[in-house]
Amino acid sequence: MSSVPNLTGAVECASIRKSFGEGEAKVEVLRGVNFMAALGEMTFLVGPSGCGKTTLISIIAGLLAPDSGTVSLFGERLSLLPPRERILFRRQNLGFVFQQYNLLPAFTAAENVAVPLIAAGWGRENAIRKAREVLTHLGLGHRTELVPQLLSGGQQQRVALARALVHEPRLIICDEPTAALDHRSGESVMERLATSAIHPDRAVIVVTHDSRVFHFAHRIIEMEDGLIRSSKTSESLNQP
Amino acid sequence: MISMAFTMLSHDGPKFLAMVLAIAMAAFLTQNQASFLVSFLAMSGSQIRDVREADLWVMDSSTECFDQAKPLKDTAAEIVRGFPGVKWALPLLKVDAPARTEAGKLSMVTLLGVPEQSKVGQPRMKIGDSSVLDERDSAVIDPGGMALLYPGESFRPGMRIRIHDKWLQIRGVSNASPPFTGFPIIHVSHSTAVELNRAESRCTTFVVGRFEAGADRGKVTREIRAATGWKAFTREEFEAASSQFYADQGVPHLFYITITVGLIVGAAFSGQTFLMFVKENARAFTTLKVLGFTHGQLAVMVATMAGIVVVLGLALGTMLAVGTSFLAATMPFFRSLYLPWQVTLLCCISIGLITLLTAGFAFKKVLNLEPADVFRS
Repeated sequence: MSSVPNLTGAVECASIRKSFGEGEAKVEVLRGVNFMAALGEMTFLVGPSGCGKTTLISIIAGLLAPDSGTVSLFGERLSLLPPRERILFRRQNLGFVFQQYNLLPAFTAAENVAVPLIAAGWGRENAIRKAREVLTHLGLGHRTELVPQLLSGGQQQRVALARALVHEPRLIICDEPTAALDHRSGESVMERLATSAIHPDRAVIVVTHDSRVFHFAHRIIEMEDGLIRSSKTSESLNQP
Repeated sequence: MISMAFTMLSHDGPKFLAMVLAIAMAAFLTQNQASFLVSFLAMSGSQIRDVREADLWVMDSSTECFDQAKPLKDTAAEIVRGFPGVKWALPLLKVDAPARTEAGKLSMVTLLGVPEQSKVGQPRMKIGDSSVLDERDSAVIDPGGMALLYPGESFRPGMRIRIHDKWLQIRGVSNASPPFTGFPIIHVSHSTAVELNRAESRCTTFVVGRFEAGADRGKVTREIRAATGWKAFTREEFEAASSQFYADQGVPHLFYITITVGLIVGAAFSGQTFLMFVKENARAFTTLKVLGFTHGQLAVMVATMAGIVVVLGLALGTMLAVGTSFLAATMPFFRSLYLPWQVTLLCCISIGLITLLTAGFAFKKVLNLEPADVFRS
């Protein structure tokens, strides 16, 4: 990776705790996590299954509430927002890429990409036009009218990436974006992510197991047993 | 939002079709059975409405409907004429008698005697002219009677029908409204009807008459009832009484059961399929929630989906019901079958309410989807 941009905190989590279940079945998934993702950076969150990565990004996205601790996105405390405001904040500021793409099977690629814009109140035609532009930018200009079923896994993930980018959010959260793809497709998706998503006003968090794509990271944060075990920058990773 | 809802809905073609057809079936069955019920009950007043000139009906106190009447004494018409507010009154003779054709076809028939002078109760004609009733031993038959007694034959002057031991010449086809009993309606002159009235010595089944203009109808009927002990009704009251008589016989309950079952089975099947559709699309709805769809937007989507299904289903079911009514109305015995708009409205409201309830359940399911589940593979 090239030089690391400024380290303005886009996402700041302090002492996050989260547990599921009650009584003896209670499992503490996050045990006081401190986490930061900076603008202009691609932050990788890595660790074994069950270490709490998904719970952490769910809390960052405002989809789960922590038991204790604070989450701040661009200076905004999500937990203090009323539910509707939280949805609107997420709609405006967050983009998502999922492991299983989560494209709507009934919609064409362009319609899928247009969903965040339609949710934000755009007219259908304008939303589709903008979606086509983004898809073209990601090399899928010739696939805009196909439904997901007719696209390869790599193409579907690029459509999902376009959906995450189309409304120009300030934070993109990617959950195992290469897990369902072969190495070449995974590499291709990560290249598109690196070239299209990284922006001085945007932070990107990638949850992944896939060590083959670690070289795309500006920072790698390793989790284990509900705690942050280490945080390394790309420079330290490249050091012998 | 609406086009998104439609795209999602129509993507699952078999379920979409099943939901629409279930609503259509419920709408068709409900309207069809209700229209049959309403039409059959309305048929109980057919012959009352057909005596267009009369708006006053007087009958024995034990008479409950047009089809089951005990005769009055033959001076009854003169007595009724004597009441203030009665413009005129005449005896009407109805005779139920066995009949057979030259081909040996048998049926009970309802004979209606038309007074030679006043012509009160003379039928509207489909073929021929009602003046033929002035000719000796002539009769006019209704289309239902033609179909029953002369199946496959077209009317030709000179067709004959034997009632008791008397042969009558059929000289025309009337447009008499189909009766509830299904018996052929045969109009003859009053004197011919009297001649064929073998079971009774009295020849006044009803007294029909007309109120004076401006007369207080309620007061006149009350006075007749009080003075004679007979029943006296306005035409509308007698129609309603006849209809109520049949409604009390239990037949409507069979229709009510069919209507209720159609409504419940059709709407429940459609509702169940809709809930299944929402469940199977849980991942899509969860994704929409995560991507920033508000509860209001999701409610619009679910309501639009339910609305599309119910509107298409109701439209299809109503078209089938209307088509069936038109088709049935071409058959002689169902000529008066019709689909009242009130039935359609009531059906739409009932199915609409059930669908609204289902949509409410479906929306609750969507609201309860856990957004964080979106990260589960």
